Amino acid sequence: MKLTHLFLASTMAVTGAAGMAAADFPSEQPIRLISPYGAGGAVDIASRILSSVSGEYLDTRVDVISIDGAGGQEAINLVRDAPADGYTLLVTDYGPLITTALQEDVSYELDEWVPIVQITEVSPVFFARADGPYTDMETFIELAQADPGAISVAHGRYLSVPHLPLILLEQVAEFETNHIPTTGGGQALAFVLGGQTDAGASVPSTIAGGIGDGSLVALALATAERVDALPDTPTLRELGYDVVLPAWYTIFAHRDVPAERMAILEERIMEALNSPSAQALGGRTGTDVRPLGMEASMEAYQTTIVNLEAILATID
Amino acid sequence: MMEFLAEAFALALSPEVMLFALIGIGVGVTVGAIPGLSGDMAIAILLPFVFVMEPAAALGLLVGIYKGSMFGGSISAITFGVPGTAGAAATVIDGYQAKLKGQPNRALHTALYSSIIGDTGSDLVLIFLALPLAAVALMFGPVEFFALYVVSLTLVAALTMGKVARGIAAAALGVMLAMIGRDPITGAQRLTFGLPELSGGIGLVPLLVGVFAVSEIIVQAGRAWMRRSGREMADITARAEALGYDVSKDRLDWPTFRATLKATLLGTGMGTFIGALPGAGASLAAFMSYGVAQRLSRKPQEFGKGSLEGVAAAEAGNSATSGSTFIPLFAFGIPGSATAALFGAALIMMGITPGPTMIKENMSLIYALFIMLIYANLFNFCISKLLLPVYSRLAMIRGEYVLPVVLGLAILGTFAASNSVKDVWVLLAAGLLGVGLRWFGVPLGPLVLGFIVGPGLEQSLRQALMLGRNDWTHLVQSPIAIGIYLGTLAILVGFWLLTRARPESADGAAGGGKGAT
Repeated sequence: MKLTHLFLASTMAVTGAAGMAAADFPSEQPIRLISPYGAGGAVDIASRILSSVSGEYLDTRVDVISIDGAGGQEAINLVRDAPADGYTLLVTDYGPLITTALQEDVSYELDEWVPIVQITEVSPVFFARADGPYTDMETFIELAQADPGAISVAHGRYLSVPHLPLILLEQVAEFETNHIPTTGGGQALAFVLGGQTDAGASVPSTIAGGIGDGSLVALALATAERVDALPDTPTLRELGYDVVLPAWYTIFAHRDVPAERMAILEERIMEALNSPSAQALGGRTGTDVRPLGMEASMEAYQTTIVNLEAILATID
Repeated sequence: MMEFLAEAFALALSPEVMLFALIGIGVGVTVGAIPGLSGDMAIAILLPFVFVMEPAAALGLLVGIYKGSMFGGSISAITFGVPGTAGAAATVIDGYQAKLKGQPNRALHTALYSSIIGDTGSDLVLIFLALPLAAVALMFGPVEFFALYVVSLTLVAALTMGKVARGIAAAALGVMLAMIGRDPITGAQRLTFGLPELSGGIGLVPLLVGVFAVSEIIVQAGRAWMRRSGREMADITARAEALGYDVSKDRLDWPTFRATLKATLLGTGMGTFIGALPGAGASLAAFMSYGVAQRLSRKPQEFGKGSLEGVAAAEAGNSATSGSTFIPLFAFGIPGSATAALFGAALIMMGITPGPTMIKENMSLIYALFIMLIYANLFNFCISKLLLPVYSRLAMIRGEYVLPVVLGLAILGTFAASNSVKDVWVLLAAGLLGVGLRWFGVPLGPLVLGFIVGPGLEQSLRQALMLGRNDWTHLVQSPIAIGIYLGTLAILVGFWLLTRARPESADGAAGGGKGAT
């Protein structure tokens, strides 16, 4: 492993040195966008939207490279060890970057990472079968309080984007359910549809079909505001529970990358993602491409760290 | 309904997709005909490229390779007595004898026809059964899935011809290897020996390619080193040329072909059934249908002495697994074989998650796949018929030219799949593991299937226990699960009775295949 990094670092040092000398960033070599997830997942698809319009707006190619080894740490380490020239960036949600860092020994500090652009916000949503007893969040919480642990809720992986809001909601609203980890949104959906579990937690794109055909009902969102995909679904904050824990897919640079390069990246990537072609691709792949710049995405990053620290402290 | 069918036809019949299917079949027959190379290997090596291709074209390519390799394996089996693929091991028994009797052309054509019939029959079953099965699949929760996983592991371990204990050991080893990495429920690291590289677990592609392909390469390189392989090959070639054989006297006429039809149909049924069971594979299907065809034949005494019925039964049997092996994948998201697992991975790379909702969500693409499955058989038939004489020479390519290229491709493909040098080390380690397992006669299939179903087995068991609040009797409170367990028991008893009735033929079959390899 060390050898690998040494090798990668040395090849990149050679190419990087040449890049530093040139003034016309970022056009002199392709940008590598390293993703800690396998090809074909939601983060990957969001990254490829940027990649497909990059030629026009960034004057260079953006290559999305999936490195899902070691629970995402391999990808993060690669970006960290690469020369800080702005040509190697990280794209991720908070799981591998923050959750893992708060739970295990990792090679980096959280403040080493500077968010450049948040590509999209992902909204955790709770849902149940439309023909079941849980037609709204109030009823769900009442029934859960009446018989602690009896209601089962399928979420994604342990401590994943839909699971953490569930933990937080139970703390805030004082109830208890039986958490069933699944392989992801697809399995959680199948469990709810098949009546294996009483409710589920996922993201809007997973349940869109079931909401559309009337087989599912969305109970509540763990976001600050309602989302376009589910206009009739209330947020938990509206219902009086302060549970706001959205996820994001964000492009990060290491803090050693020169500030002017970060600014150029921010400007160009924002422009690329706001372009009609990127928006159209987002619509086709079910990704709500709504880019936020450095300041706003830094705020989202830090808020998430604070929230996750609080939640994880209670369950360890 | 009509709309998506039209879309599916447009997708499947587009020139690009048909071209890729054709290329796939060419590649498939080629790798199938070369001993040591298999369709699974070719698919595994091509996986990383799937992501950048159009989904329909990628599926066409993979389907072509799979089908081509199914038949290709029989070419070297018949011509040289060396099974090109594991599935063709049963074809060697009568196919090679028929060739020695001076009927290679008849045997090859029998193999081709029965292979195409078996394959088509199996595809039809898939097309008409996958949808209804997918509809009931939502009734399958953790309890029922656990039952299915237990069944597939039991079957694959228990049905390993003549090596039950080793089959169980291999399956258990596979499950254990799959447990390295992160706990599926809590995400905690386990069995990583403190190595951060192992915290993401062991990848399927490096393990699969390593255990099957790299180990075969190492073994063959070792043999070549001992200067045995070269001499054997030369002997075989010399014998083939010395026979002074005339193709015009070796045509497969209608009455001869008709006599093999019963065996073909038996093989088709048996292969389709076994292919649909998660965990059982093409070689098992071939041996089982060979055994059954012999029992029900009018001329059982000719089996093993160049009977075309034997060739037909074995070839129909292994090819008939190729459609039905997708039933568990499409209906439940459970890959029933290594090939199905590779197709599952390819689908995921296209953004399609195999499982109960897959067909509904991707109607036109899945129906396009069904159409491809059918026309690929036709392509396979035409190409193979035209090129049979050329293909039979492929088996004569010397190992020292083939093996380095394959090893290079395996390493490149593995690295490309994950962009990780770690996986290349895993690949080489898996290769050495494969050599060790071959040395001790441990079957590789159960190991890989154990590895593939291991995570699902563990996850569904723990989900079921969480839902049942740690009450183990929760596992047998579902009528579906009980039905699955009883069904397995019935299958095991049935196989036991079948194999017990003809111990000598089963031993002969296994021994013949092994000896020839």
